Amino acid sequence: MLPRNKKNNFFSGPGIRTRTARGLLSLGALAIVYGVAAEIGRGRLPDRIWLGTHYVENVQLLPPYGSLAEEAVFLLQSGILLSSIAVSAGRVLLGFMLGAAFGILLGIATGRATRAEYLADPWVTFFRFTPALALLPLYVLWFGYGEGTKILLVASSVAVVTLLGAHQGVRSVPRVYLDAASALGAGPGLAFRKIVLPAALPHIFASLRIGLGLAWVTIVVAELIDARMPSLGYLLTLAGGYPRVSTMVVGIATIGALVLAFDLFALSVHARATRWMRRTG
Amino acid sequence: MTGPAPRLDAVDVGYTYPGDTPTQALESVNLTVQDSEFVALLGPVGCGKTTLLRILAGFLRPTKGAVRCDGAEVDGPSPQRGYVLQEDAIFPWMTVRENVEFGLLARGMPPAARVEVSSELIRLIGLSRFADAHPKELSAGMAKMVEVARVLAIDPAILLLDEPFGALDAQTRARMQDELARLWERRRKTVLFVTHDAEEALYLADRIVVLSSRPGRVEADIPVELPRPRSLESRFSPAFSALKRRIWETLS
Repeated sequence: MLPRNKKNNFFSGPGIRTRTARGLLSLGALAIVYGVAAEIGRGRLPDRIWLGTHYVENVQLLPPYGSLAEEAVFLLQSGILLSSIAVSAGRVLLGFMLGAAFGILLGIATGRATRAEYLADPWVTFFRFTPALALLPLYVLWFGYGEGTKILLVASSVAVVTLLGAHQGVRSVPRVYLDAASALGAGPGLAFRKIVLPAALPHIFASLRIGLGLAWVTIVVAELIDARMPSLGYLLTLAGGYPRVSTMVVGIATIGALVLAFDLFALSVHARATRWMRRTG
Repeated sequence: MTGPAPRLDAVDVGYTYPGDTPTQALESVNLTVQDSEFVALLGPVGCGKTTLLRILAGFLRPTKGAVRCDGAEVDGPSPQRGYVLQEDAIFPWMTVRENVEFGLLARGMPPAARVEVSSELIRLIGLSRFADAHPKELSAGMAKMVEVARVLAIDPAILLLDEPFGALDAQTRARMQDELARLWERRRKTVLFVTHDAEEALYLADRIVVLSSRPGRVEADIPVELPRPRSLESRFSPAFSALKRRIWETLS
């Protein structure tokens, strides 16, 4: 339990240094567990694996740190890892921006349309429980195997989340603020800009943060299915084909690190934009 | 009839909330507030005080009777009638200054003129140091005073205050009452102040209108002829106690 009045947010409270230290500690603990498991497994785990149709030889199921480091150095020096990151991150960012712009605008519109409430609500509910990845086969048919399909898929999953966030945000603006504004003589335009938007902002930012994480999930899956060089999804597909566990581990760790970095960025933007909020514990 | 129309004039106002079991909140209320008068509307919880105030503010249309402000029929909210809600309605994403200036912004006043008005009011409520702070830095009482200042900034014909200090502890409440009385003595405004606290009504008002419990009717109209400015002494004066006894007798 935090003492009362002690601020508990991203920038104050337990302190960014303590938080970082704790985060690194838990990452380090997992790394140690992995290392120990890999050492114990060396020579004990099978290296001949039945893949459904044939056996593959010389598989390292839990590659020790030595192999991982070797693999990481190779992927970095050959430029494969960096160009994969660039391609995947580019798709994520483009799709994210497209989807967020579309989702937020549409969500604000459906949230505002109080008279059309029963027109918008079934769609909102429909999309809430429909994963955008279900659209993949349809998009492939419509747009072919290419950049368009991947970026649109990311945009779709981001659009759904941000649409819901903006819709909910606009709907949950407390009535008292709108009453107070109209008693002070504010017309609908001013009330929208100065009351509805800022009051909906925390919801919208929270949905953007979720959307950013989802964008990574979507892009990796899309790249697994239509694997072309170079991208992180392709790297994983290729590693699965050999199979090379060390490549997979480096690829997964890279994706994880990128998601973490993107999330940290989103979190800091969120915290800055909603500094006015009361954040007492 | 001679003389100007009263600031606020409610004639035979009744209100029934619709629904499966329609609730009659107000039966037939007649209420007149003259210019520069401070009137307290006193009644038990649930007697329809807030309903009446929302009708006067223009957020509810009476199901019976009519309301006029400065002779004109009330039809919808307007900055002519400054309304401070019972709930916390300070905009938390705006600074104190932006809150106070909001009504002026709505009116299209240029920034320099807005700052002039807001600085003066923020100084009057003693918050100059917090002008650029967000409401989360303020106590509940000070936040309420900012709401009062925000309404005063648009210079309304009448101020409608709905239990502004209802959620405060007794000491803070007394301090806020002093603050409001001081503000009122500097800026004589027509005020209609809703409260369920007899002492608060006595301390602040020129006249107390007592509402009966649901459905609300005007039970009594009691002039408060205590000298101003009032102080702690006023609260313990024999005249104050006598009036308080009279109100208690009316209420029970």
